[in-house]
Amino acid sequence: MFYISMFFQYISQYIKTRLQYRADIFVEFFSDLLSQAINLVFILVVFGHTDLLGGWSRDEIIFIYGFFLVPFAVFSAFFNIWDFNDRYIVKGELDRILTRPIHSLFQIILERIELEALLGAITGLAVMFYAGSRLGLEMHWYDPFLFIVFVIGGALVYGGVFVMIACISFWADARMSLMPMMYNISNYGRYPVNIYNKLIRFMLTWVLPFAFVGVYPAAFFLGKREWFWYSFLTPVIGVVFFVLSVRLWNQGVTKYRGAGN
Amino acid sequence: MENVMEVKDLRKEFKAYSSRTGLKGAFRDLLTRNYKVIPAVNDINFSVRKGEMVGYIGENGAGKSTTIKMLTGILTPTSGSIIVNGMNPHKEREKFVQTIGVVFGQRSQLWWDIAVQESFRLLKKVYKVSDADYNNHMGHVIRTLDIEPLLDKPVRKLSLGQRMRCELAAALIHNPPLLFLDEPTIGLDVLVKLKIRDFLKEINEKYQTTILLTTHDLSDIEALCERVILLDEGSVIYDGALKNLQEKWSEGKELKFQFLEKVDITAVKVLTSELPVKWELEEKEQVFTATVEDSGELISQVIAKVVAAYKIKDIKINETSTEEIIRNIYEKGAV
Repeated sequence: MFYISMFFQYISQYIKTRLQYRADIFVEFFSDLLSQAINLVFILVVFGHTDLLGGWSRDEIIFIYGFFLVPFAVFSAFFNIWDFNDRYIVKGELDRILTRPIHSLFQIILERIELEALLGAITGLAVMFYAGSRLGLEMHWYDPFLFIVFVIGGALVYGGVFVMIACISFWADARMSLMPMMYNISNYGRYPVNIYNKLIRFMLTWVLPFAFVGVYPAAFFLGKREWFWYSFLTPVIGVVFFVLSVRLWNQGVTKYRGAGN
Repeated sequence: MENVMEVKDLRKEFKAYSSRTGLKGAFRDLLTRNYKVIPAVNDINFSVRKGEMVGYIGENGAGKSTTIKMLTGILTPTSGSIIVNGMNPHKEREKFVQTIGVVFGQRSQLWWDIAVQESFRLLKKVYKVSDADYNNHMGHVIRTLDIEPLLDKPVRKLSLGQRMRCELAAALIHNPPLLFLDEPTIGLDVLVKLKIRDFLKEINEKYQTTILLTTHDLSDIEALCERVILLDEGSVIYDGALKNLQEKWSEGKELKFQFLEKVDITAVKVLTSELPVKWELEEKEQVFTATVEDSGELISQVIAKVVAAYKIKDIKINETSTEEIIRNIYEKGAV
């Protein structure tokens, strides 16, 4: 309960901070909106050249991409910890975090929240509806609920892997640049996994399970029965990876060395 | 009285590697590294009773900040035990930090972009402070620190002195029984320093708040602390009353003379040749300094002789300052 109320407290703090800069807020909003529109056009143009890929039609691939954008937007909004190493370890901001009576990872997530990123979900939904209507997909009463569960599961997969990577900074001394690599690998999940070779498919399913952010859950809405089993595994994998990452984090915090004054 | 802090054989080691020279060395470093284990805090013991104000002093790199970070649960000790407020700071961190307040002079607790009162409000929620407690306690803190007019300003617009007062208030929102201050007066002007000192004395009296203070400004320690813990290269070299330290180490008194006319130092030396006095002359300002033992008799005699012979513009009698005492101790490395 306390954590839920803190969540909203931090969000309101975030909004207040944003409102401090009036001009900024409008400029940023429009630039975000514009970049999403460009993104949308870009997707349609790129996929205009694909027809059939490993048994998936053009519209199905677009649909998967659209779905992927939603958990990715949620993830970007709440796990904006790209600069964790720099800001919290090297500059020692973690000192401050650790003197407050809230779980350290929770505090960092709340401090770095970036709600604008949620706009990306709108693009994702638009892409999904566009592709869905071309495919003639029907909506069932349970679809929205499952959609939300899958989105949360996908975002947790992303968040979990990301937090684990960030944890490396507790042990490693140097500044690290694993984050960009991470970002690149994560893009594989946007495409149907059966087009890849077996090893990569295994990796994307069980090791760095990014397939659970895009293909697997989207396959459910596309009515691909052979993938259903994987679709319903999405929230499970999400929770498992996130719990593991929090465990690792708790271990890591005891290894924190602090920054010199 | 009960102990709020109990530190036994506390040790913190850092692993550092020394890099070899040259390009060849860099390649060798890639494969095997020369690790060196450096103890930043070396088996220290002390305890602090409720209501005490303790000055924790030492040179840069002596291990002060590392100790404070272990006491506040930020760092995990390599070995040894810490009990603060009846808890192990690192093990029960979230419960523990509810009972302490921390001010790092070089780091801000407040949110940079929003008004001070918004930061206070959020911290109030973080520490689960009730409205009644908050109004009652913080009303007083805000008045004493005189930060009422700053509350609606964003932190980035405050001066350092204003910000530090707000930081102090922020650390006290939950009225903790134990307060850690790491260089709280760094870079502040005299007036703000005085205000902060008075305030600390007041909360210490009013709430019996225990305060552990590190600072490089020894006047802070003189004004606030009866007890000091002196740290050198990770070990405690002195733990006791500040007064004892002063008595034991003071090297008598200094008499400073300024004369109306020009006086030669040899003449002054001849004048007091029968007395055990050491003279020094500061050329630029024509200040003659006589170092003598701390005895009333002797001091009177020296003054009587000098005053009888020359016209005086100014006389000062100084005790050896704490700063000098501490400097002497550092130079010798032991008490």
